[in-house]
Amino acid sequence: MHIDRFVEKDVVITAVRGRLDSSTSPKLDEFMAVIPDGSSVLLLDFAELTYISSAGLRVVLKAAKLAKGSGVTLAICGLIPPVHEVFDVSGFSTLIPIHANRDAALATLG
Amino acid sequence: MIIAQLDLRLENDLAELEPLVRALDFFCETSALPEKVAHRLTMAVDELVNNAVDYGYPDRRAGQITVSIRHRGTQVEIELADDGNAFDPFTAPAPDLTSPIEDRRIGGLGVHLIRTLAAHFAYRRENGRNVVALAFTLDA
Repeated sequence: MHIDRFVEKDVVITAVRGRLDSSTSPKLDEFMAVIPDGSSVLLLDFAELTYISSAGLRVVLKAAKLAKGSGVTLAICGLIPPVHEVFDVSGFSTLIPIHANRDAALATLG
Repeated sequence: MIIAQLDLRLENDLAELEPLVRALDFFCETSALPEKVAHRLTMAVDELVNNAVDYGYPDRRAGQITVSIRHRGTQVEIELADDGNAFDPFTAPAPDLTSPIEDRRIGGLGVHLIRTLAAHFAYRRENGRNVVALAFTLDA
């Protein structure tokens, strides 16, 4: 798994590439544990996320809870169909805004 | 080349997950499984092996986990067996899927995903082993 972070239109984007499972999710968990100063919108770009298990969902929910508690918006974009299915079945699709891709997310959030 | 069958034997050690995933990827690719089916199958094996390793051997004894996958007609059948303590994963309570973020409980989604996405699931205790049988249909 590889994580990149950058800012575009005042949105803090965290792009995750590869697999989010029990062995890799602690790295994202650590990354999402601190919300950068002054940010109001966090976007998880999962366009290049090829796999997610419940261990990955746990990290996403933790990040969403932290954001909510800090008055920050957290959104997700770019889910490939098998990953989107996991979000749907887990009841996350109604919990966290999911955008088709980064441009669509930035148009709404930025 | 088509590989219709895969049999793996693992130690009860999370270090086995990486080669396990590589073997599953190889199987899904050579069997030309649709991407949703491949993800469901990998996720189910990943969740169950993690659970077996994490909770099946509290005394830290060495154990053995086997994974058998068969591509048969319109479905893929999986059988996982471990010699850990007796445990039926499908007795796990249903997770919280509806509370707002602040109240949503973290965890418990792995078995729920399997129960929801598998066409068939069953557990039996046989000769000192937990045996979970799953089937996934190919028309996902």
